[in-house]
Amino acid sequence: MEEVFVNIGEIKVLAQEGRLVAIGLGSCVGLILYDELAKIGGMAHVFLPTNRKGGANQHPGKFADTAVSAMVEQMAAMGAQKRRLKAKMAGGSQLFSYGASVMDVGRQNVEALQRELQAAGIPLVASDVLGSRGRKLIFDVGTGQVLVFVIGQEPVEL
Amino acid sequence: MTYESDFKLDVLKELGNIGAGHATTALSTLLGNKKLTLVVPEAMIVGMQESMSLCGGPESLVGAIYIRVSGGLCGHMALLLPYESVQSLLGYLLGAAPQELRDMELSTLQEVGNIVVTSYLNALAEMTNTQLFPSVPAVAVDMAAAVWSSILAGAEVADYITIVQTGFQTDAEIIDGTIAFIPDEEDLAKLLGALGMGEL
Amino acid sequence: MHEYERGGVHSHDPMGNGAIAMAHTILVVDDTAFMRMMIKNVVQKHGYQVIGEAGDGEEAIAKYKELRPDLVTMDITMPKLDGISAIKAIMEFDPNAKIIVCSAMGQKAMVIEALKSGAKDFLVKPFEADRVIEALQKAVG
Repeated sequence: MEEVFVNIGEIKVLAQEGRLVAIGLGSCVGLILYDELAKIGGMAHVFLPTNRKGGANQHPGKFADTAVSAMVEQMAAMGAQKRRLKAKMAGGSQLFSYGASVMDVGRQNVEALQRELQAAGIPLVASDVLGSRGRKLIFDVGTGQVLVFVIGQEPVEL
Repeated sequence: MTYESDFKLDVLKELGNIGAGHATTALSTLLGNKKLTLVVPEAMIVGMQESMSLCGGPESLVGAIYIRVSGGLCGHMALLLPYESVQSLLGYLLGAAPQELRDMELSTLQEVGNIVVTSYLNALAEMTNTQLFPSVPAVAVDMAAAVWSSILAGAEVADYITIVQTGFQTDAEIIDGTIAFIPDEEDLAKLLGALGMGEL
Repeated sequence: MHEYERGGVHSHDPMGNGAIAMAHTILVVDDTAFMRMMIKNVVQKHGYQVIGEAGDGEEAIAKYKELRPDLVTMDITMPKLDGISAIKAIMEFDPNAKIIVCSAMGQKAMVIEALKSGAKDFLVKPFEADRVIEALQKAVG
């Protein structure tokens, strides 16, 4: 079966079958959109809530405020219907939780995506977010199964 | 690659050399004067995905100490240690390799990171005739890619990142690691200016 | 390897003058438990009595006022309140306070600021145990 890795800032869409995989989700969030009827699924590996610093950016999937609409567009081009889309997401943790708690980008990513999904009218049906552990996310587009892996723990189905 | 960016990287590499030299001396002292070998520092401009391989396999377990740098040259510094090195280091400093990382173990990693990174900054500050202030260090132990991407997200880096990176290793025991410095882009120009090379 | 715990009472003579001397009391200030343990091990071995520990500048000031130690070892980079601010506050409360800085932050301007603020000495981490004892002896001597 085809296995497609979704790197930081990328959006990947598959139809009918194949697995979408995001590894090393720390403060990043893996966002999944799925049209179950058309069996079209997409994953974005979101890095920051918005391009606040305005640096060079060729990847809409990198930011929460551009990822959702870009992914919806790509999926629609392959035949997905926006009104049928459902969302799941995992990630957004704060790994550096001992000593100075300096970075809470994870929480900001999660909240920004929740807002974007709500604005787009896409229901968020399941999520495994926040906390202090890194995650790996695997989405089987053929079956719709979503698994979340954390080091030293059994995988959890989302 | 332009002449200017070549030149920028040369300067950064030299600063990295001196900074990392001091940092490894500090680590060596901490480890009872164990001999540490310094891998020649590299300064590079890389894509985010490319930078993921700096700390080994993306899913391998690492210990990381992160410090925000403010003052004359703002940026982000991290000490990244493969888990086996975390174990050897803690075994040496605390007397026994720990089964799990509790408060004392994490606190030890935090202090090691503080001493190594601050020594690096002391050398850099002297070289550039500025003051550099390290933040209180933060510690994470998790998948390499998750740890590194969290640092990059905290730094809000653009698609391409300037990194000064140095590896080190001990002869006898398995203690190796990477010291990474990500200077803020706006401050880099200021730094080159401070070195009297801003006109190039 | 290091000893984790040591008793508080010390029979040997830290002053080296043959008299039965009272152990000098120390407040150890550092944000990491590991470094507090290291410093405690070193000073206790030489007959000093650690009467308190603090993990940030605010706690250091409060503990100093409460415990009135003979000596203080002070870190600089700490949460809530940094060591320089703590030195200034303690010196204002007690101009005779004897504070030794133990910090990795060895940049010249920082050393000068610490000494100007009233610190008696500045040890750059990682330090040799002998240097700590030497600095403490000089400060109380």
